[in-house]
Amino acid sequence: MTDSMHRILVVEDDLAICAVLQTLFEGDGFRTVAVGTCRDAISFAQLQRPDVCIVDLGLPDMDGLRFIEEVRTWSAVPIIVLTARTQEPQRLAAFEAGADDYIIKPFSGLELIARLRAITRRLARRNRPEAVLHLGSVEVNLETRETRGPEGKVLKLTPLEHRILECLVQHAGALVTHEQIMNEVWGPQLADLRSLRVYVASLRRKLERDPAQPQYILTEVGVGYRLVSDGE
Amino acid sequence: MGACGITALCTALAYSLFGRMEPANIVMVYLLGVTAGGLWLGRGPSVLCAIANSAAFDYFFIPPRFSFYVAEPQYLLTLVGMIIVALVIANLMANIRGQTQAAAARERCTATLYAMCRELAAAPDATSIAAVAALHVSAAVEGPAMLALAGEDPAVPPWFTPADAAIVRWVFDHGVSAGPGLQHWINSPCRYLPLVGGERINGVLVVQPPPTIAPGSHSWNMLEALVGQIAMALERVRLAEVAAESRAAVERAALRNTLLASISHDLRAPLTAIAGAGCLVAQDSILLDSAKRKTLGQLIEVKARDMAELLGNLLELIRLEAATALPRADWQSLEELIGAAVRQSIHRFDHRRVLCELPEDLPMLLVDGQLIRQLLSNLLENAVKYTPPGTTILIRAVAASDLVMLTIEDDGPGFGCVVPERLFEKFERGQKEGSVSGAGLGLAICRAIARLHGGSIHATGREGGGARFEILLPQSTTATCRVVQDR
Repeated sequence: MTDSMHRILVVEDDLAICAVLQTLFEGDGFRTVAVGTCRDAISFAQLQRPDVCIVDLGLPDMDGLRFIEEVRTWSAVPIIVLTARTQEPQRLAAFEAGADDYIIKPFSGLELIARLRAITRRLARRNRPEAVLHLGSVEVNLETRETRGPEGKVLKLTPLEHRILECLVQHAGALVTHEQIMNEVWGPQLADLRSLRVYVASLRRKLERDPAQPQYILTEVGVGYRLVSDGE
Repeated sequence: MGACGITALCTALAYSLFGRMEPANIVMVYLLGVTAGGLWLGRGPSVLCAIANSAAFDYFFIPPRFSFYVAEPQYLLTLVGMIIVALVIANLMANIRGQTQAAAARERCTATLYAMCRELAAAPDATSIAAVAALHVSAAVEGPAMLALAGEDPAVPPWFTPADAAIVRWVFDHGVSAGPGLQHWINSPCRYLPLVGGERINGVLVVQPPPTIAPGSHSWNMLEALVGQIAMALERVRLAEVAAESRAAVERAALRNTLLASISHDLRAPLTAIAGAGCLVAQDSILLDSAKRKTLGQLIEVKARDMAELLGNLLELIRLEAATALPRADWQSLEELIGAAVRQSIHRFDHRRVLCELPEDLPMLLVDGQLIRQLLSNLLENAVKYTPPGTTILIRAVAASDLVMLTIEDDGPGFGCVVPERLFEKFERGQKEGSVSGAGLGLAICRAIARLHGGSIHATGREGGGARFEILLPQSTTATCRVVQDR
């Protein structure tokens, strides 16, 4: 168990929040280290190589963004950002710096644990990616590039729709920014957010029961999309 | 010239009549000439005309003719009488002429003043007053004019190089006029007149009149009258601004009081509950079994969330009311925004159903996605708060030529006796201090968001019972913003 236990670095200067997070994570089988400054966090991340980092953006010595930028120069460790609702521009900046996901303060412990699990599952998947993903009655097979609806009926996806779905499936459970999808599907030059929205809308019409209340391809307003499969 | 012409004309006429008329009637011809001269010529020429006419009469008609010698004493009397009458007529006519001219000038002055006052009264602020005043003054004195306002850096426009910003500042500081013919800065080509209102100088008028307009002249008096009117107009605008400011301050104070009263109640109540519950949980009492402990924990969470929501709403409202533009507008699909809003509140729905009827060809809108999502979330959360479980919430959107109409309605209890439009006011709640948590900010936020997008939001009762909210977002914002984006 000890070897497979994920180590989480919590970078947060509020001791009460640290205590809550530590209790929450340890109760769920994660090992947790909490530090209160950006400087300590960077040196800890360099020495101890945690599996996941959870970073508050407002830190006493430096902006949490600096931590993300610094860590991203040598590591692809998943980083979850803690932000307040009024910090939207900072949240986007965090994604540009390389953050993987965000949780808005005040957050619910259950939600944070769910995000953490999704990330650790993806970590485990990195070595052997799953070829088949179930979204309700829909089955997406990345190897055969086939998507089947209820009763095994093949759903016809256009090549672009399939590539967008593939991109979302590869990051299942995690937030994928618009830029990320557009870069992977169109390439950086041809990116057009309006086309992306149109394709996602038609994908939802094929996969979701009610495209206005999607259950699998969720919208993170102003940031990107998140694919939630049945197992999550 | 005119005087000699009139004399020659009278002599010619008299000559043609001579022989058929008495000399006394010939005198009348000359006096007629003097009257005409007085009517058309100035004072000097008409006096000259009177003398020339008398001399011509003497020379041509008084015997012995063609000599200035007067043989009979009775003609001496005629000649002297004629000279006196001619001079008096010339003088009187000149006086009448002068009065007519003065009256015409007064008329022009009154007309100019009236025209300017009318435009000044319509001018909404000091800047437009300055523009109107400069225009009229420059037309009235036939020279360039400008108006420097108090509180602004007196910059001299390039077309008015003789004006000196340093003198403008000096006049602001000293409050007396300056320029040629006055006591200060007499070598400057321009005149600087302070516009005094109450105890302060609201502006300085700079004019470069032609040299004929000196202090004491008629045009100068008119200039002073104009200055008086401009000063009054500036003072009126300033006082109006002061009044508006103090009114706004009173409103702000009233709002702050409401805010403080509301917040202190809405924050204290959950804080009391949290502190109490926390204290109980911390005591390691045997009375507290795990079920009770769990209830207390849940209570702490719920109350903390209420407080977080209130604070979040308050900050959001302050931010929205300060905003004048949409900094993060982007092409958004309403379907996605509705989906995100529904998902955000879904855990509270509790047997309430949400149905969406959206046309597939709904156009994308250039809006701030977070804000529109927030607007929809607030409406959904209200629907959850104020309806019983089992209610159906219906979201519909229709695109018209120039706007998109979004409606959210439910078949719950509706607004009852509350006037729905009042609910959009801050701290206005359908149920006062009732069992439902909230501070009455949600709909105020919705309205602020809709207005920021150039749209509107209205609440009405739904046909057949329930509440209905209607949001109108103009498509014209789409069009105008598109230009900016494509550039």
